[in-house]
Amino acid sequence: MLDAGRHPNIEVLTNSELVWLDGRAGRFKATVRRNPRYVSEELCTGCGLCVEDCPVVVPNEFEVGMGARKAIYSPFAQAVPNTHIIDRQNCLNDDFLVCNNCVSSCDRNAINFDDTAKEITLDVGAVIVATGFDVYEASAIPSYGYGLYDNVLSNMELERVLNATGPTHGHIARPSDHKVPKTIAFIQCVGSRGEGKEAGCQYCSRFCCMNAVKDCLLVKQHEPDIEEMFVFYIDLRAAGKGFEEFYQRSREMPELTYVRGRPSKIMEDAETKDVIVYVENGETGEVSRLRVGMAVLSTGAVASASNPGLAEVLGLDLDENGFFEVETKYGSPLHTAKEGIYLCGCAAGVNDISDSVAQASGAAAESEKFADKLPDEEKKREVKEIDVSGQPRVGVFLCHCGINIAGVLDISSLKEHAETLPNVVCVEESLFLCSDEGQGLVQEKTVEHQLNRVVAAACTPRTHEPIFRDSCEQIGLNPYLFEMVNVRDQCSWVHSRVPEIATDKARDLLRMGVARARHLQPLYKNSIPIDRSVLVIGGGIAGMYAALELEAQGIRVYLVEKEDRLGGRLNTLTKVYPANLSASELARTMDKRVRASRIELMTATEIEGITGFVGNFDVSTSGGGFKVGAIVVATGADIYTPTGEFGYDKWENVITNQELEAILHEDRQIQSAAGGKTPATVVFIQCVGSRDPDKNAGCSRFCCPTTIKQAIRLREDGVNVAVLHRDMRTVGAKAEELYRQARALGVKFIRYTPERLPRVSGKGSRAEQVEILELALNRILTIATDYVVLAAGMVPDEQSTGALHEFLKIPRGADGFFMERHAKLGPVETTTEGVFLAGCVSGPKDIADSIAQGSAAAAKAAAIVSHDTVALEPTTCVVEPSLCRACGQCVEICQYHAPSLVQIAGGLQVAEINQALCKGCGTCASWCPTGAIVALHFTEDQIDSMMEALLTVEA
Amino acid sequence: MASRDDKQRGVLVLGGGISGIQAALDLASARVKVYLVEKTPSLGGRMAQLDKTFPTMDCSI
Repeated sequence: MLDAGRHPNIEVLTNSELVWLDGRAGRFKATVRRNPRYVSEELCTGCGLCVEDCPVVVPNEFEVGMGARKAIYSPFAQAVPNTHIIDRQNCLNDDFLVCNNCVSSCDRNAINFDDTAKEITLDVGAVIVATGFDVYEASAIPSYGYGLYDNVLSNMELERVLNATGPTHGHIARPSDHKVPKTIAFIQCVGSRGEGKEAGCQYCSRFCCMNAVKDCLLVKQHEPDIEEMFVFYIDLRAAGKGFEEFYQRSREMPELTYVRGRPSKIMEDAETKDVIVYVENGETGEVSRLRVGMAVLSTGAVASASNPGLAEVLGLDLDENGFFEVETKYGSPLHTAKEGIYLCGCAAGVNDISDSVAQASGAAAESEKFADKLPDEEKKREVKEIDVSGQPRVGVFLCHCGINIAGVLDISSLKEHAETLPNVVCVEESLFLCSDEGQGLVQEKTVEHQLNRVVAAACTPRTHEPIFRDSCEQIGLNPYLFEMVNVRDQCSWVHSRVPEIATDKARDLLRMGVARARHLQPLYKNSIPIDRSVLVIGGGIAGMYAALELEAQGIRVYLVEKEDRLGGRLNTLTKVYPANLSASELARTMDKRVRASRIELMTATEIEGITGFVGNFDVSTSGGGFKVGAIVVATGADIYTPTGEFGYDKWENVITNQELEAILHEDRQIQSAAGGKTPATVVFIQCVGSRDPDKNAGCSRFCCPTTIKQAIRLREDGVNVAVLHRDMRTVGAKAEELYRQARALGVKFIRYTPERLPRVSGKGSRAEQVEILELALNRILTIATDYVVLAAGMVPDEQSTGALHEFLKIPRGADGFFMERHAKLGPVETTTEGVFLAGCVSGPKDIADSIAQGSAAAAKAAAIVSHDTVALEPTTCVVEPSLCRACGQCVEICQYHAPSLVQIAGGLQVAEINQALCKGCGTCASWCPTGAIVALHFTEDQIDSMMEALLTVEA
Repeated sequence: MASRDDKQRGVLVLGGGISGIQAALDLASARVKVYLVEKTPSLGGRMAQLDKTFPTMDCSI
């Protein structure tokens, strides 16, 4: 969030909306209305003095109405921008009466009641729609009593309750009596998967199951004495990477019970305000009345209320649920009917965070080809660098941070202390050191006192260090001669109730900071050239998309595929749901597009080795070698081969989803063994080789929708179909709608549990019947069948994943798939810089998700190779060769593979650290037995001086 | 590659939640000018309201 607020290429326009769009892809004219804020973004520092003086208290939307805010406010603590805003609906200033408290409290004159809406026109090449979703309004279901009963909350409300900065400071309390509830019930599918008149939406909102699982674990963490928790659900949809494992972990909690069933109504005990849940257990048929202290409604997502208006401006259509209509021609979930306008996140339907993030990057890649590139920003500043070879001259700057620091710490005592410290030649204070005024003060005093070290006692370096470093650099002081002491987070915030002790601690930290500053040395960034080409490994749908996106941006692309044709898994499929696209046609179209492009296509080619680092990879293949700047790995996955489950090895008519797909592909009819006009019967068994701790603990995600797709096709041919499953996890786009269609067509769905697996029996070479325990009736059901289809899950492609793991050092998870940099926020990135993932190589995915990832990986790779050079952070580790005895321990311990042993003159070996690979973590420096490795910016004398300063007893 | 107009064509991103921010950052780091338009007073969207995210239990902000 902060990154977006600070990026020089991003102009953040909050409180604004698009009102008009004209033109076409590559040359749109967009009119954006900036609604009045009544507070100037340039002048407001976010100090909050106005908020204290504002007399109006209204419910806080960010806290879902549970907390309070003023009429002038900042939406939440970390808001970007941190400019306040006036809610004129609730403000006392109107035509007749003037309060003006905020105006008089603001000493920067940032408040302007005459502010009006302004319209600006922008030239843009493309538009990305990322307008998100709205939360379903639970009060629309009267039988659940939301809004009526005190102790019935929504999941959004619980999120805020669980948050340490939330209305109850992370303490779980019943709204009725502020007591901790002993029992909590979670009710799933509120407003989702609706049936009947209190329906809500028919689709599945995808994230609410995992949200409830997470909340159960968090509740236990916050309130260890919780006695019982219940989750009432229809199907528990833990269908994403690592989700099933996470769900199974929650099942180990003795306090938590999962109950299959959708409550019919919720009542309240008027006296105790306890909540009574009425529910029929879907497995036993037993009807019960359960008393709990609190109920949480897992409300789903609905299309954003702003969609209809925006659709009109953009000239796009909405689907029956109010989401933006996707153009499915190419199988991509990002396209609209209009070229140059792309969708991501929850604009076209509900997605979880990691899929939203991948789609966002994908939409960025699509848009890039319609935009101009800004000049590569080389900060060439004609400033003479300040000489620092003489005695240190330290300047100390103390920030009040409004009342954040000065409200607790005794600033004058800190100032006095700073003045006594060695080499300190000037001490200054400022209300907001980060403001333009504060930064100006730092620069002015540096010049005036010829400072060569600057220390700021302020907030966190995580967000503010770059600002200070930049200010230093502007006047010629090396940015690495700046030291930041965090007296806000570590003193005034955490010890706010004991101001004297907090001030003592701040004095200690400041003394340490000054001591370290005296030992700081200038450091310089090295930049290395980048090879402006990209290697894409794997010619399946994800790899082809990645390659085409890159090529469209004018980047040289090598596409390497080990088979002799493109398409990958697409070649084994008939139809691609939900659009009912022909898979072979899609494969053909994509193949044509690749061959017509300037992509360097290498089929029937194996990767034999990759060395190097970001910007400079050396690739060798069976078809020759080349250099690239970035790599996209899209090698896909394998389908699990059953090892005798359900008689797979024994009977010829026990087949997998994939084998059935081949039969359907060739348009062969499924025949009944009885012959003649008797309709055939097919029984599907779900979760074969998935959700099984002995094989693959995870859910393979694509098999439920695949079975649904095949079941509908068979049913349309008149075949009798039964699906035996544990939970139907139809989470992809429109998958729930297809599930509904299958039921309407008469496909039978019967649940089984892993404790009582279905039993397949037969004679000779053929299976003849399937027996399953019908849970509700508690009796064995026998189904005579012509085919048994096993929904086999996905497993890593051992051969290519193993080899690339060796070459590229991408870590593999417990499931064997490649691990992303971050499961949520970096779904296509890896910990190896310059190497990206797309498609099933990081876990099972459907076609649409694979395509989104292909485009996303292209965006990431393009970002790297669209620069001429990459600047290396100079805070790395270096080896002093004369001290190194080549023991190799640094080589062993470094997780980034930066150190290596090299030959020097006289047949000797020494360690050398690759500066492009080193992250400066310092592990090798602390491990090195001879002290030959120095962690720059964290050298031993710098750290020693801090320890000494800490232990110096004040006179 | 650059247009002949004086003006550089950027990309308009509608929505300042996690998706909009991600798209904006990717474009910006590929040297594209981005206008990130959000109708509420702050960036962050829904995700800023969440306490933690599963399965890594990382902080949402």
